[in-house]
Amino acid sequence: MAEVKKRVRPGLRRRVVDAVGGGLVSELLSRIDELEAAVEENRNLNLRVAELVDLVQELLVPVASQDRDKIDAAVAKFQRSL
Amino acid sequence: MSVAAPKVDAIRVDDRGIWFRSSVDDVLDVCFDGRRVWSFWLQRDSDAAAGGRLAEWPSALVRFLDGSTRLSLVAHVSGATLYDEEVRLGSGDGRIAVVSPEGKPLGLDKSNRLSQTFDTRSAEDVAPLLDSIGEVLAAIREAGVEAFLAYGTLLGAVRQGALIGHDSDADLGYVSTHSHPLDVILESFRLQRHLSGLGYTTYRYSGIAFKVEVIEADGFRRGLDVFGGFIAEPVGDQPGMLYLMGEIGAAFARDWIYPLTTATLEGREFPVPAVPEKLLEATYGPGWRVPDPAYHFHTARPTVMRLNGWFRGIRVLRSEWERKHSSNRDRPVPDRPSALAQYVVAQEGVPERVVDLGAGRGGDALWFARQGAAVTALDFVPRAAAAAQALAEQGGVDLEVREVNLLSLRSTLAEGARLAHAPGDRVVVARHLADATNASGRGGAWRLCEMALRDGGRLYLEFWSGTPHRRREGQLLAAVPADTVVAELVARGAVIVHREETQVESAPGEPGRTLARLVAQWQR
Repeated sequence: MAEVKKRVRPGLRRRVVDAVGGGLVSELLSRIDELEAAVEENRNLNLRVAELVDLVQELLVPVASQDRDKIDAAVAKFQRSL
Repeated sequence: MSVAAPKVDAIRVDDRGIWFRSSVDDVLDVCFDGRRVWSFWLQRDSDAAAGGRLAEWPSALVRFLDGSTRLSLVAHVSGATLYDEEVRLGSGDGRIAVVSPEGKPLGLDKSNRLSQTFDTRSAEDVAPLLDSIGEVLAAIREAGVEAFLAYGTLLGAVRQGALIGHDSDADLGYVSTHSHPLDVILESFRLQRHLSGLGYTTYRYSGIAFKVEVIEADGFRRGLDVFGGFIAEPVGDQPGMLYLMGEIGAAFARDWIYPLTTATLEGREFPVPAVPEKLLEATYGPGWRVPDPAYHFHTARPTVMRLNGWFRGIRVLRSEWERKHSSNRDRPVPDRPSALAQYVVAQEGVPERVVDLGAGRGGDALWFARQGAAVTALDFVPRAAAAAQALAEQGGVDLEVREVNLLSLRSTLAEGARLAHAPGDRVVVARHLADATNASGRGGAWRLCEMALRDGGRLYLEFWSGTPHRRREGQLLAAVPADTVVAELVARGAVIVHREETQVESAPGEPGRTLARLVAQWQR
């Protein structure tokens, strides 16, 4: 996207292109920005969900034991493995 | 790049760099007294200057350039010597020695970082590395994953049966049986946990890459990088794509990787992909057989975007802070409290428990501990506070240093849970944290504070406030508007109980700065 923007710099060229295209180029550039951001947000979910699944998977069993010492040890061990 | 010697004329060497006339691009080795210390591309790594080209000395090399040396320029591929003269740089009288503080020879790797490149090490020197590679591969195999030599280590094995002279580390890779990024991340977490359980110190770079530290016979701490990869499910008629952290995205067949075969590296057999040439082409392009000691990856934008989106973002600014603390390691721990620490005590008395979030070198943490507080110092570079912790132990005061990564949900939630259950009334102090991380790091910080302070206590924050600008390279603290921080805290359920902004004078000619101080609490 940065390269596209560099090629269509704001200024005379961009204004000419926009005038000919009825503002279409500017609109398309903004829509590419929006789409890239949306794709990025979706991709970011992989790591976020994996972190949550890992945490739950590793700590749910010790937490269910309701044994304070076991839970503390499990959390400390979990932290050391990150 | 050609096998014939490149045509380079009128070479001059001075304190700025190497000036020459040439219209071709080729890679040259710069040797001091016969030993390679740097390699550069004639055109790519130079700028137009005074009717010719100037390749400036890389910043990592500059501090050594004070004295004399026999400087030769050798075309890396053809071996032709293009220049060979005694030169004097700076004002020093001795020989230039590019060596570590322990006197070990150093060279610049392909990223222009100083390292003990393999061309400076004997067969005896590299034997422990080969042992380490074997040991880590075996440990990974134990966890059910078949890893192989990757990147420069694979290139060396396949091209010459030896480590590459201008390389300085060893890389391992594997291709997961999973085809979805989420499962591949979980597998990498499991792998790291397995190695950690075996007693290895590990360090995560991203969702699917981490480093394993192996202590070699001479005490040298060797980091081996383990890069995960996977073949994404084909979409429609598109071929399956291999994505291997951190540079590869290419149409690929699984049977080019598995079953693994072996190749010889420095006289020992190691696992490599079934058709290693295919992976090398995906890694370095079709010219992979031609050596390039100044190789730069040109990873395709869609691959970078995918790898960034799926796997990266948990170590933003970490290398920069590690470097900062590494350069600070000989400085004494500050023995005077910051103004914020004094303010906390003026407001609360000495708290029973202090959490110093983003503790850095731990000066305030140590001071609070000496006042009688039980202190937990948290930072993503915990070794920065090692000296403070040692002083605390000597003085018999209560200071524990722990690692927390505010960009990692696992790390933040686990530490938050731990702090929430720690006994005693507490405050969280975060001095220059809000301006030391990005929005995602601040999000992690406020989440951790919400957990730690859910049953009471206050958060004391101090940071540079101001119009946000993109961080300049090397800039560690970047002002963030106090209104932004307030809004983030309020959105997370905090109540702001105190806010002040103070104008601070800067050096003459520099604009003044605004220091913001906020106190927040979650008690409802």
